[in-house]
Amino acid sequence: MNTQDQVMQTIAETLNVPLSTINKDSAAENMDIWDSFAQVNLMMALEQTFDITLEVEDLMKLNSVTSITDFIERNS
Amino acid sequence: MKQKENHIDKLLTLRTRREFSEQTTDWYKSISLPDAKRLARHINTLESIEHVFRLGVIHTYTSDLLNPWLDFHAAIQGLELHTYHAPYGMNIMESQENSGLFAHKPDLTLFLLTREDLHPSLANPISEYNDGQLQQIHDEIITHLANILSKFRTNISGHFVLTILPRILPAALGLFDAQADRSEEAWWASLKEAIATKLRNTIESSMFVDLDQMLATLGRKQFFDLRYWYTSRFPFTPQAANELARRTLNLAAVLKYPKAKVIVLDADNTLWGGIVGEDGINGISLGPEYPGNTFVDFQHRLLDFQKRGFILAICSKNNPEDVQDVLDNHPHQVLRKHHFSAQRVNWLPKPENLISLAEELNLGLESFVFVDDSDHECNMALNQLPQVQVIQTPAKPVEIPACLEQIARLEILSLTQEDQQKTQLYLQENQRKNLQKELEAGGNDIRQYLASLNMEMNISIDSTDNISRLAQLTQKTNQFNLTTRRYSEQQIRHFIESEQWTVASFSLSDTFGYSGIVGLALFHHLNTSETEIDSFLMSCRVIGRQAETAFLVFMLNYLASNSVSSVAADYLQTHKNKLVSDFYDNHDFLLEKNGRYKRDLSEFQLDKDLFPPIKVTHKTEK
Repeated sequence: MNTQDQVMQTIAETLNVPLSTINKDSAAENMDIWDSFAQVNLMMALEQTFDITLEVEDLMKLNSVTSITDFIERNS
Repeated sequence: MKQKENHIDKLLTLRTRREFSEQTTDWYKSISLPDAKRLARHINTLESIEHVFRLGVIHTYTSDLLNPWLDFHAAIQGLELHTYHAPYGMNIMESQENSGLFAHKPDLTLFLLTREDLHPSLANPISEYNDGQLQQIHDEIITHLANILSKFRTNISGHFVLTILPRILPAALGLFDAQADRSEEAWWASLKEAIATKLRNTIESSMFVDLDQMLATLGRKQFFDLRYWYTSRFPFTPQAANELARRTLNLAAVLKYPKAKVIVLDADNTLWGGIVGEDGINGISLGPEYPGNTFVDFQHRLLDFQKRGFILAICSKNNPEDVQDVLDNHPHQVLRKHHFSAQRVNWLPKPENLISLAEELNLGLESFVFVDDSDHECNMALNQLPQVQVIQTPAKPVEIPACLEQIARLEILSLTQEDQQKTQLYLQENQRKNLQKELEAGGNDIRQYLASLNMEMNISIDSTDNISRLAQLTQKTNQFNLTTRRYSEQQIRHFIESEQWTVASFSLSDTFGYSGIVGLALFHHLNTSETEIDSFLMSCRVIGRQAETAFLVFMLNYLASNSVSSVAADYLQTHKNKLVSDFYDNHDFLLEKNGRYKRDLSEFQLDKDLFPPIKVTHKTEK
């Protein structure tokens, strides 16, 4: 599984939505369920799943499949 | 990461919910959020949900983020969780009858407060105040908290759990705090003690859960996540959220499932290491050196559980002399013969022994927790006695002392005097049985046996002294219980205060000791002359002494002398109260066409010759 697939899977699990509803363009701005609570839960999930540590500045910026995938590929 | 995945894969192969809830290690601790969700889904597809549990949350910091962890632990406990988060803030409006919390009808309300909520001065380190100010702050906190919680208590039913978030930063004086004459930790500890005492004495069905205990278990770094605290006012790391959810749902399980009452222990490789029949009393591991020291600690832990009110029993495949020898003579054995309320040391199959233990102790198998190291014995018990909770002793000795810490049903919500004396009470019961056998062998009848006990019954009417015990009796009593209606402490208080109700309870003492409060009857007065018996129940441990007859007849006489002319009563059958199916038939009640029992009291006369040989005294408080 490549990083993007893993990211999409983590998002689906955390937001409680079927994996099929997530694609590479999914982002907080185009998903109602991806609200600020979901964002915090998602950040925790990403840290635990990918064994990374996020800075406060990253917490709100990482709000799309693309930005998250890029971040993880750059930092692992 | 590879390893973590394997761990989850292994968990996803567990086939029953019990296998999750009976894990003796803290396996859940390192679970990530997506894994917790996967596991919760997995567990919920295994079996159907057993109970709905309604949780209310009053919070002054972000609490919604706890939801996935709450759902995860609810799944493990077999509960369908409905969580209501009140609007942010310590809002008194939520205690009103038109509030969201009221409408939610919570089984449990969790108060997640910060120190500043207790008193605005606590936003700053306490080192900024002098002794007089600190005392004043202390007193104001206690009054303020009691006021708020009693407002909630007036309208909101269910259990209350109060938590206070520890300070985000360590003590103001740093390392020196413990040494300082105005130590912040020491002041805080004494405040917490005062809060707990206040709750115990004034707010029914409430408990203080100390988050500092959790902080100590996890460590500050594993407890607080400052990034989420400062950006989202959510204080917890995922591990801390997970742990807080676990502790909350453990209490939920204690509230929803039958009470555990007995811990039945295997002997070899559970109470000590090795096999006494093969290794001999001097060859088993029990003593100051590893691995014997782990078993010594486990035995001390079992004594702690006894203090919580659980009774201990042994069920071991051994020669009885060998086990007895260890109990009597091993220098490092902590638990002696008198600590065990019953023993089965023989070669019979263990399920058979568990059934006969249940009979001897007069307790249902659903109140049993069975601890054994053997796969075979654990599986036998699991398959043949699904009511029994089975815990397998860990194979690694270092894991043994803490192996019962994760078991939800071994947590307690209250501790009465009766709980603490329980083991002694069962011991007295054994002495009674021996006396009865002796007398029967000598050709005496039951009345002579009862008379020889010199029983005294003390009846309290409408007394508020032991409300928690009375509520506990309605919640725990299954066999000698005519209607099996469960009541909370608040409901009992309401009955005591109401003119429409009479609440009577009794304690019993005899030659062998004092039983504590063991019987309860709730009378509902429909009008000045008609009364119905809403509840009539008695603890199993006084069965066989005609106390029920003395209590009922005394109360009928009491009602008759208060111009009650007829009493209605019901026997509501459950699968556990067959014992009392003919109780009212045997006490001159008539079964009417509508299925209710009735007894006319208009010409009631107390027949002294038929009254059991029990001296009755009573006091009335309303």
